[in-house]
Amino acid sequence: MNLEDLYRLMRNGHVQAQGIIDTVPEPLLVLDQNLCVQTASRSFFSTFKVDRDETIGQHLYELGDRQWDIPELRLLLEDVIPKSKAVVDYEVEHDFPGLGRRTMLVSAHRLFHPDNISRSLLLSIVDATKRREHEAEKDVLLGELRHRMRNLLALVQAMARQTTAAGRSGEEYRDAFLGRFNALVQAHDVAFSHNGAADLQQVVERTVAPYSGSPAGVIVEPGPTVPLASGQIMSLSLILHELATNAIKYGALSVATGQVRLRWEIEEASAPRLRLVWQESGGPPVAAPASSGFGTQLIEFAAKRELGGRVELNYAPAGLMVEIVAPLASVS
Amino acid sequence: MRKTVLVVEDEFLIAMDLKLLLERHGWWVLGPAASVEEALALMDEELPAVAILDVTLRDGTVSLVAEALRAEDIPFVVASAYDKPEHVGGEILAGAPNVGKPTDQRLLLAALEQAIYRMNGTSLPLDP
Repeated sequence: MNLEDLYRLMRNGHVQAQGIIDTVPEPLLVLDQNLCVQTASRSFFSTFKVDRDETIGQHLYELGDRQWDIPELRLLLEDVIPKSKAVVDYEVEHDFPGLGRRTMLVSAHRLFHPDNISRSLLLSIVDATKRREHEAEKDVLLGELRHRMRNLLALVQAMARQTTAAGRSGEEYRDAFLGRFNALVQAHDVAFSHNGAADLQQVVERTVAPYSGSPAGVIVEPGPTVPLASGQIMSLSLILHELATNAIKYGALSVATGQVRLRWEIEEASAPRLRLVWQESGGPPVAAPASSGFGTQLIEFAAKRELGGRVELNYAPAGLMVEIVAPLASVS
Repeated sequence: MRKTVLVVEDEFLIAMDLKLLLERHGWWVLGPAASVEEALALMDEELPAVAILDVTLRDGTVSLVAEALRAEDIPFVVASAYDKPEHVGGEILAGAPNVGKPTDQRLLLAALEQAIYRMNGTSLPLDP
Protein backbone atom coordinates (compact mmCIF):
# COMPACT_ATOMS: atom_id res chain seq x y z
CA MET A 1 0.00 0.00 0.00
CA ASN A 2 1.48 3.23 -1.06
CA LEU A 3 0.91 6.71 0.20
CA GLU A 4 -1.57 7.35 -2.55
CA ASP A 5 -3.74 4.39 -1.46
CA LEU A 6 -3.56 5.36 2.15
CA TYR A 7 -4.61 8.89 1.36
CA ARG A 8 -7.52 7.59 -0.70
CA LEU A 9 -8.59 5.30 2.10
CA MET A 10 -8.43 8.04 4.64
CA ARG A 11 -10.30 10.38 2.40
CA ASN A 12 -12.91 7.71 1.71
CA GLY A 13 -13.13 7.09 5.41
CA HIS A 14 -13.70 10.74 5.97
CA VAL A 15 -16.32 10.94 3.24
CA GLN A 16 -17.99 7.91 4.72
CA ALA A 17 -17.95 9.40 8.19
CA GLN A 18 -19.38 12.67 6.93
CA GLY A 19 -22.02 10.70 5.06
CA ILE A 20 -23.01 8.89 8.21
CA ILE A 21 -23.13 12.11 10.18
CA ASP A 22 -25.35 13.73 7.56
CA THR A 23 -27.90 10.94 7.76
CA VAL A 24 -28.44 11.54 11.47
CA PRO A 25 -31.70 13.45 11.69
CA GLU A 26 -30.63 15.33 14.83
CA PRO A 27 -28.09 18.14 14.89
CA LEU A 28 -24.72 16.51 15.56
CA LEU A 29 -21.31 18.05 16.24
CA VAL A 30 -17.89 16.47 16.33
CA LEU A 31 -15.60 18.53 18.55
CA ASP A 32 -11.88 18.16 19.07
CA GLN A 33 -10.34 18.16 22.54
CA ASN A 34 -10.32 21.96 22.57
CA LEU A 35 -14.04 22.07 21.81
CA CYS A 36 -13.51 23.29 18.27
CA VAL A 37 -15.92 21.99 15.64
CA GLN A 38 -14.35 19.32 13.43
CA THR A 39 -17.50 18.54 11.57
CA ALA A 40 -21.23 18.94 11.87
CA SER A 41 -24.31 17.26 10.45
CA ARG A 42 -26.46 18.89 7.83
CA SER A 43 -29.36 19.15 10.29
CA PHE A 44 -27.15 21.17 12.65
CA PHE A 45 -26.79 23.84 9.98
CA SER A 46 -30.45 23.84 9.05
CA THR A 47 -31.78 23.72 12.62
CA PHE A 48 -29.62 26.54 13.93
CA LYS A 49 -29.59 28.43 10.63
CA VAL A 50 -25.82 28.64 10.44
CA ASP A 51 -23.39 28.38 7.59
CA ARG A 52 -20.92 25.54 7.16
CA ASP A 53 -18.00 27.93 6.70
CA GLU A 54 -18.72 29.96 9.80
CA THR A 55 -18.96 26.76 11.86
CA ILE A 56 -16.17 24.33 11.00
CA GLY A 57 -12.97 25.06 12.89
CA GLN A 58 -14.66 27.45 15.28
CA HIS A 59 -14.71 27.03 19.02
CA LEU A 60 -18.13 25.87 20.19
CA TYR A 61 -18.66 28.89 22.41
CA GLU A 62 -17.82 31.26 19.56
CA LEU A 63 -20.48 29.84 17.26
CA GLY A 64 -23.38 32.02 16.08
CA ASP A 65 -22.97 35.10 18.29
CA ARG A 66 -21.91 32.93 21.23
CA GLN A 67 -25.35 31.32 21.37
CA TRP A 68 -23.80 28.11 22.67
CA ASP A 69 -21.94 29.83 25.47
CA ILE A 70 -24.48 28.59 27.98
CA PRO A 71 -23.59 28.07 31.65
CA GLU A 72 -25.38 24.68 31.79
CA LEU A 73 -23.55 23.51 28.69
CA ARG A 74 -20.21 24.74 30.02
CA LEU A 75 -20.83 22.73 33.16
CA LEU A 76 -21.55 19.67 31.04
CA LEU A 77 -18.53 20.03 28.78
CA GLU A 78 -15.97 21.13 31.34
CA ASP A 79 -17.11 19.26 34.39
CA VAL A 80 -19.41 16.34 33.65
CA ILE A 81 -18.00 14.94 30.42
CA PRO A 82 -14.33 14.73 31.40
CA LYS A 83 -15.39 12.45 34.24
CA SER A 84 -17.64 10.18 32.23
CA LYS A 85 -17.58 8.33 28.96
CA ALA A 86 -21.06 9.29 27.84
CA VAL A 87 -23.85 11.61 28.86
CA VAL A 88 -27.39 11.07 27.64
CA ASP A 89 -30.17 13.67 27.36
CA TYR A 90 -28.65 16.40 29.48
CA GLU A 91 -31.27 19.14 29.53
CA VAL A 92 -30.28 22.67 28.54
CA GLU A 93 -32.82 25.47 28.51
CA HIS A 94 -31.77 28.54 26.63
CA ASP A 95 -32.99 31.51 24.63
CA PHE A 96 -31.52 30.99 21.18
CA PRO A 97 -31.40 34.14 19.04
CA GLY A 98 -33.78 33.61 16.13
CA LEU A 99 -35.22 30.41 17.63
CA GLY A 100 -36.56 31.64 20.93
CA ARG A 101 -36.71 29.73 24.21
CA ARG A 102 -35.83 26.12 23.64
CA THR A 103 -35.34 22.98 25.66
CA MET A 104 -32.42 21.04 24.21
CA LEU A 105 -31.40 17.55 25.15
CA VAL A 106 -27.65 17.22 24.74
CA SER A 107 -26.02 13.81 24.52
CA ALA A 108 -22.25 13.42 24.41
CA HIS A 109 -19.90 10.59 23.71
CA ARG A 110 -16.11 10.73 23.86
CA LEU A 111 -14.20 9.14 20.99
CA PHE A 112 -10.65 7.88 21.32
CA HIS A 113 -8.61 7.59 18.19
CA PRO A 114 -6.53 4.43 18.53
CA ASP A 115 -3.69 5.70 16.33
CA ASN A 116 -3.03 8.92 18.13
CA ILE A 117 -4.04 10.15 21.53
CA SER A 118 -6.42 12.77 20.21
CA ARG A 119 -9.83 12.81 21.83
CA SER A 120 -12.83 14.01 20.03
CA LEU A 121 -16.31 14.50 21.29
CA LEU A 122 -19.57 13.56 19.61
CA LEU A 123 -22.33 15.93 20.63
CA SER A 124 -25.95 15.47 19.59
CA ILE A 125 -28.49 18.16 20.28
CA VAL A 126 -32.17 17.33 20.19
CA ASP A 127 -34.72 20.11 20.29
CA ALA A 128 -37.20 18.72 22.80
CA THR A 129 -39.26 21.89 23.13
CA LYS A 130 -42.24 20.57 21.14
CA ARG A 131 -42.04 17.19 22.82
CA ARG A 132 -42.00 18.85 26.26
CA GLU A 133 -44.98 20.99 25.29
CA HIS A 134 -46.87 17.92 24.11
CA GLU A 135 -46.02 16.11 27.31
CA ALA A 136 -47.26 19.05 29.37
CA GLU A 137 -50.49 19.21 27.35
CA LYS A 138 -50.97 15.48 27.72
CA ASP A 139 -50.51 15.77 31.48
CA VAL A 140 -53.16 18.49 31.62
CA LEU A 141 -55.56 16.37 29.56
CA LEU A 142 -54.96 13.28 31.67
CA GLY A 143 -55.48 15.33 34.82
CA GLU A 144 -58.78 16.61 33.46
CA LEU A 145 -59.84 13.11 32.47
CA ARG A 146 -59.02 11.83 35.96
CA HIS A 147 -61.02 14.66 37.45
CA ARG A 148 -64.04 13.85 35.29
CA MET A 149 -63.82 10.16 36.07
CA ARG A 150 -63.77 10.86 39.78
CA ASN A 151 -66.78 13.14 39.43
CA LEU A 152 -68.63 10.43 37.57
CA LEU A 153 -67.71 7.92 40.26
CA ALA A 154 -68.97 10.38 42.87
CA LEU A 155 -72.34 10.50 41.07
CA VAL A 156 -72.54 6.71 41.15
CA GLN A 157 -71.57 6.74 44.81
CA ALA A 158 -74.31 9.29 45.59
CA MET A 159 -76.89 7.05 43.89
CA ALA A 160 -75.69 3.93 45.66
CA ARG A 161 -75.73 5.68 49.03
CA GLN A 162 -79.14 7.30 48.63
CA THR A 163 -81.05 4.45 47.02
CA THR A 164 -83.23 3.09 49.82
CA ALA A 165 -81.95 -0.12 51.35
CA ALA A 166 -84.11 -0.32 54.49
CA GLY A 167 -87.04 -2.74 54.20
CA ARG A 168 -85.87 -4.04 50.83
CA SER A 169 -84.33 -7.29 49.72
CA GLY A 170 -80.86 -7.20 48.26
CA GLU A 171 -82.39 -7.90 44.89
CA GLU A 172 -84.82 -5.01 45.14
CA TYR A 173 -82.05 -2.65 46.18
CA ARG A 174 -79.88 -3.82 43.31
CA ASP A 175 -82.61 -3.32 40.73
CA ALA A 176 -83.48 0.13 42.05
CA PHE A 177 -79.83 1.15 42.04
CA LEU A 178 -79.12 -0.28 38.59
CA GLY A 179 -82.19 1.49 37.18
CA ARG A 180 -80.80 4.83 38.30
CA PHE A 181 -77.31 3.83 37.22
CA ASN A 182 -78.62 3.04 33.74
CA ALA A 183 -80.36 6.43 33.53
CA LEU A 184 -77.02 8.03 34.38
CA VAL A 185 -75.26 6.00 31.69
CA GLN A 186 -77.90 6.92 29.09
CA ALA A 187 -77.66 10.60 30.01
CA HIS A 188 -73.89 10.45 29.79
CA ASP A 189 -74.07 8.79 26.38
CA VAL A 190 -76.46 11.38 24.99
CA ALA A 191 -74.51 14.29 26.47
CA PHE A 192 -71.11 13.23 25.22
CA SER A 193 -71.96 11.72 21.86
CA HIS A 194 -72.90 15.18 20.61
CA ASN A 195 -70.18 17.35 22.13
CA GLY A 196 -72.22 18.12 25.22
CA ALA A 197 -75.43 19.15 23.48
CA ALA A 198 -78.50 17.18 22.48
CA ASP A 199 -82.17 17.59 21.80
CA LEU A 200 -84.96 16.96 24.30
CA GLN A 201 -86.58 14.45 21.92
CA GLN A 202 -83.49 12.22 22.05
CA VAL A 203 -83.25 12.43 25.81
CA VAL A 204 -86.91 11.53 26.24
CA GLU A 205 -86.80 8.66 23.77
CA ARG A 206 -83.71 7.08 25.27
CA THR A 207 -84.93 7.41 28.83
CA VAL A 208 -88.42 5.99 28.28
CA ALA A 209 -87.36 3.39 25.69
CA PRO A 210 -87.36 0.55 28.26
CA TYR A 211 -91.00 1.35 29.16
CA SER A 212 -92.52 1.99 25.73
CA GLY A 213 -92.81 -1.67 24.84
CA SER A 214 -95.96 -2.57 26.78
CA PRO A 215 -99.31 -2.37 24.91
CA ALA A 216 -100.02 1.17 25.93
CA GLY A 217 -96.79 2.17 27.61
CA VAL A 218 -95.38 5.64 27.28
CA ILE A 219 -96.58 7.75 24.38
CA VAL A 220 -94.29 10.60 23.46
CA GLU A 221 -96.14 13.31 21.57
CA PRO A 222 -94.09 15.15 18.97
CA GLY A 223 -92.88 18.47 20.32
CA PRO A 224 -90.73 21.38 19.26
CA THR A 225 -86.94 21.09 19.11
CA VAL A 226 -85.33 21.98 22.44
CA PRO A 227 -81.53 21.92 22.55
CA LEU A 228 -80.14 20.90 25.95
CA ALA A 229 -76.79 21.35 27.66
CA SER A 230 -75.12 18.41 29.39
CA GLY A 231 -76.24 19.35 32.92
CA GLN A 232 -79.84 19.62 31.76
CA ILE A 233 -79.64 16.30 29.92
CA MET A 234 -78.51 14.66 33.13
CA SER A 235 -81.29 16.08 35.29
CA LEU A 236 -84.09 15.50 32.77
CA SER A 237 -82.95 11.91 32.23
CA LEU A 238 -82.92 11.24 35.94
CA ILE A 239 -86.30 12.92 36.47
CA LEU A 240 -87.92 10.90 33.67
CA HIS A 241 -86.37 7.72 35.01
CA GLU A 242 -87.79 8.37 38.48
CA LEU A 243 -91.23 9.06 37.02
CA ALA A 244 -91.13 5.91 34.91
CA THR A 245 -90.05 3.58 37.73
CA ASN A 246 -92.65 5.14 39.99
CA ALA A 247 -95.32 4.56 37.32
CA ILE A 248 -94.30 0.91 37.02
CA LYS A 249 -94.39 0.32 40.76
CA TYR A 250 -97.48 2.27 41.80
CA GLY A 251 -98.85 4.19 38.83
CA ALA A 252 -100.34 3.74 35.39
CA LEU A 253 -97.66 1.35 34.15
CA SER A 254 -98.38 -1.09 37.00
CA VAL A 255 -101.44 -2.33 35.06
CA ALA A 256 -101.84 -3.39 31.43
CA THR A 257 -104.47 -0.76 30.65
CA GLY A 258 -102.44 2.16 32.02
CA GLN A 259 -100.79 4.74 29.87
CA VAL A 260 -98.41 7.69 30.12
CA ARG A 261 -98.52 10.61 27.74
CA LEU A 262 -95.50 12.85 27.58
CA ARG A 263 -95.67 16.21 25.83
CA TRP A 264 -93.85 19.50 25.88
CA GLU A 265 -94.13 22.97 24.49
CA ILE A 266 -92.22 26.23 24.54
CA GLU A 267 -94.03 29.05 26.26
CA GLU A 268 -93.24 32.47 24.92
CA ALA A 269 -93.37 34.49 28.10
CA SER A 270 -90.98 37.39 28.72
CA ALA A 271 -88.26 34.72 28.48
CA PRO A 272 -89.05 31.44 26.70
CA ARG A 273 -89.85 28.54 29.03
CA LEU A 274 -90.07 24.81 28.55
CA ARG A 275 -93.24 23.19 29.85
CA LEU A 276 -93.02 19.40 30.05
CA VAL A 277 -96.05 17.39 31.10
CA TRP A 278 -96.11 13.76 32.26
CA GLN A 279 -99.70 12.57 32.37
CA GLU A 280 -100.69 9.13 33.63
CA SER A 281 -104.09 7.55 33.02
CA GLY A 282 -105.84 4.19 33.27
CA GLY A 283 -103.90 3.14 36.36
CA PRO A 284 -105.04 2.28 39.88
CA PRO A 285 -106.53 5.07 42.01
CA VAL A 286 -103.86 7.55 42.96
CA ALA A 287 -103.01 8.93 46.38
CA ALA A 288 -100.15 11.15 47.43
CA PRO A 289 -97.39 9.21 49.19
CA ALA A 290 -97.17 9.62 52.96
CA SER A 291 -93.55 10.65 52.84
CA SER A 292 -91.36 11.78 50.01
CA GLY A 293 -88.63 9.30 49.17
CA PHE A 294 -85.31 9.94 47.54
CA GLY A 295 -86.91 9.71 44.08
CA THR A 296 -89.32 12.56 44.76
CA GLN A 297 -86.60 14.64 46.37
CA LEU A 298 -84.39 14.01 43.36
CA ILE A 299 -87.13 15.19 40.98
CA GLU A 300 -87.70 18.37 42.97
CA PHE A 301 -84.02 19.06 43.52
CA ALA A 302 -83.15 18.53 39.86
CA ALA A 303 -86.01 20.69 38.58
CA LYS A 304 -85.35 23.54 40.96
CA ARG A 305 -81.59 23.56 41.37
CA GLU A 306 -80.35 22.16 38.11
CA LEU A 307 -83.00 23.40 35.68
CA GLY A 308 -83.68 26.57 37.62
CA GLY A 309 -87.42 25.93 37.28
CA ARG A 310 -90.23 24.36 39.23
CA VAL A 311 -92.06 21.06 39.34
CA GLU A 312 -95.58 20.24 40.36
CA LEU A 313 -96.64 16.71 41.26
CA ASN A 314 -100.40 16.53 41.10
CA TYR A 315 -101.73 13.26 42.56
CA ALA A 316 -105.11 13.48 40.81
CA PRO A 317 -107.30 10.38 41.31
CA ALA A 318 -107.43 9.73 37.55
CA GLY A 319 -103.67 9.64 37.31
CA LEU A 320 -100.51 11.40 38.38
CA MET A 321 -99.79 14.59 36.49
CA VAL A 322 -96.32 16.09 36.67
CA GLU A 323 -95.56 19.46 35.21
CA ILE A 324 -92.04 20.81 34.90
CA VAL A 325 -91.49 24.41 33.90
CA ALA A 326 -87.95 25.59 33.31
CA PRO A 327 -86.55 28.72 31.75
CA LEU A 328 -84.99 27.98 28.39
CA ALA A 329 -82.23 30.49 28.96
CA SER A 330 -80.76 28.11 31.51
CA VAL A 331 -81.66 25.07 29.38
CA SER A 332 -79.98 26.05 26.13
CA MET B 1 -76.51 22.29 70.62
CA ARG B 2 -77.17 22.52 66.91
CA LYS B 3 -74.15 21.81 64.77
CA THR B 4 -74.35 23.49 61.40
CA VAL B 5 -72.39 22.76 58.26
CA LEU B 6 -72.37 24.81 55.07
CA VAL B 7 -72.37 22.55 52.00
CA VAL B 8 -71.00 24.13 48.82
CA GLU B 9 -71.32 21.81 45.80
CA ASP B 10 -72.67 22.48 42.30
CA GLU B 11 -73.32 18.92 41.12
CA PHE B 12 -76.89 18.44 42.28
CA LEU B 13 -76.78 14.69 42.92
CA ILE B 14 -73.61 14.98 44.98
CA ALA B 15 -75.01 18.02 46.78
CA MET B 16 -78.17 16.06 47.64
CA ASP B 17 -76.14 13.10 48.80
CA LEU B 18 -74.00 15.27 51.10
CA LYS B 19 -77.05 17.02 52.53
CA LEU B 20 -78.97 13.81 53.24
CA LEU B 21 -75.89 12.04 54.55
CA LEU B 22 -74.99 14.84 56.93
CA GLU B 23 -78.57 15.30 58.13
CA ARG B 24 -78.74 11.59 58.85
CA HIS B 25 -75.72 12.07 61.11
CA GLY B 26 -77.18 14.90 63.12
CA TRP B 27 -75.85 17.88 61.20
CA TRP B 28 -77.95 20.91 60.37
CA VAL B 29 -77.16 21.70 56.73
CA LEU B 30 -76.96 25.20 55.29
CA GLY B 31 -77.33 24.98 51.52
CA PRO B 32 -76.30 23.20 49.47
CA ALA B 33 -75.00 26.24 47.62
CA ALA B 34 -74.15 25.73 43.95
CA SER B 35 -72.39 29.06 43.45
CA VAL B 36 -70.11 31.50 45.25
CA GLU B 37 -72.93 34.03 45.28
CA GLU B 38 -75.33 31.58 46.93
CA ALA B 39 -72.78 30.49 49.52
CA LEU B 40 -71.97 34.07 50.51
CA ALA B 41 -75.69 34.90 50.72
CA LEU B 42 -76.23 31.92 53.05
CA MET B 43 -73.35 33.09 55.24
CA ASP B 44 -74.98 36.51 55.49
CA GLU B 45 -77.97 34.85 57.12
CA GLU B 46 -76.25 32.36 59.36
CA LEU B 47 -72.66 31.37 60.05
CA PRO B 48 -71.96 27.63 60.13
CA ALA B 49 -69.63 25.83 62.55
CA VAL B 50 -67.78 24.29 59.63
CA ALA B 51 -68.04 24.09 55.84
CA ILE B 52 -67.45 21.51 53.15
CA LEU B 53 -66.31 22.98 49.83
CA ASP B 54 -66.24 21.81 46.25
CA VAL B 55 -63.55 23.68 44.27
CA THR B 56 -65.11 24.69 40.95
CA LEU B 57 -68.58 26.18 41.16
CA ARG B 58 -70.99 27.62 38.60
CA ASP B 59 -69.62 31.15 38.92
CA GLY B 60 -65.96 30.42 39.49
CA THR B 61 -63.72 28.82 42.08
CA VAL B 62 -64.66 28.54 45.72
CA SER B 63 -61.74 30.73 46.88
CA LEU B 64 -63.94 33.75 47.75
CA VAL B 65 -66.06 31.53 49.99
CA ALA B 66 -62.95 30.10 51.62
CA GLU B 67 -61.67 33.63 52.28
CA ALA B 68 -65.01 34.67 53.80
CA LEU B 69 -64.92 31.60 56.06
CA ARG B 70 -61.30 32.26 57.06
CA ALA B 71 -62.21 35.86 57.93
CA GLU B 72 -64.85 34.52 60.33
CA ASP B 73 -62.51 31.85 61.77
CA ILE B 74 -64.76 29.12 60.42
CA PRO B 75 -62.86 25.93 59.52
CA PHE B 76 -63.53 24.15 56.24
CA VAL B 77 -62.73 20.89 54.53
CA VAL B 78 -62.45 20.42 50.79
CA ALA B 79 -64.19 17.65 48.84
CA SER B 80 -62.51 17.72 45.48
CA ALA B 81 -61.67 15.37 42.65
CA TYR B 82 -58.46 17.35 42.13
CA ASP B 83 -55.28 15.98 43.68
CA LYS B 84 -54.15 19.48 44.56
CA PRO B 85 -57.23 21.69 44.99
CA GLU B 86 -55.01 24.70 45.74
CA HIS B 87 -53.70 24.58 42.15
CA VAL B 88 -57.23 25.27 40.95
CA GLY B 89 -58.83 27.18 43.78
CA GLY B 90 -55.83 29.15 45.03
CA GLU B 91 -53.52 29.13 48.05
CA ILE B 92 -56.38 29.67 50.49
CA LEU B 93 -57.23 25.96 50.06
CA ALA B 94 -53.69 24.76 50.80
CA GLY B 95 -53.55 22.97 54.11
CA ALA B 96 -57.28 22.34 54.32
CA PRO B 97 -58.02 18.62 54.49
CA ASN B 98 -59.29 17.19 51.19
CA VAL B 99 -61.72 14.36 51.80
CA GLY B 100 -61.73 13.63 48.07
CA LYS B 101 -64.38 12.80 45.56
CA PRO B 102 -65.93 10.24 45.65
CA THR B 103 -66.14 10.96 49.36
CA ASP B 104 -65.85 8.29 52.00
CA GLN B 105 -68.60 8.82 54.54
CA ARG B 106 -66.55 8.09 57.66
CA LEU B 107 -63.63 10.18 56.46
CA LEU B 108 -65.94 13.11 55.78
CA LEU B 109 -67.65 12.95 59.18
CA ALA B 110 -64.33 12.63 61.00
CA ALA B 111 -62.77 15.49 59.02
CA LEU B 112 -65.63 17.84 59.91
CA GLU B 113 -65.35 17.04 63.63
CA GLN B 114 -61.57 17.37 63.54
CA ALA B 115 -61.72 20.70 61.68
CA ILE B 116 -63.92 22.13 64.42
CA TYR B 117 -61.75 20.62 67.11
CA ARG B 118 -58.57 22.07 65.64
CA MET B 119 -60.13 25.51 65.30
CA ASN B 120 -61.74 25.70 68.74
CA GLY B 121 -59.78 23.25 70.79
CA THR B 122 -63.10 21.68 71.75
CA SER B 123 -65.13 18.99 70.15
CA LEU B 124 -68.81 19.00 69.42
CA PRO B 125 -70.74 16.18 71.05
CA LEU B 126 -70.50 13.11 68.88
CA ASP B 127 -73.53 11.20 67.79
CA PRO B 128 -74.82 8.58 70.17
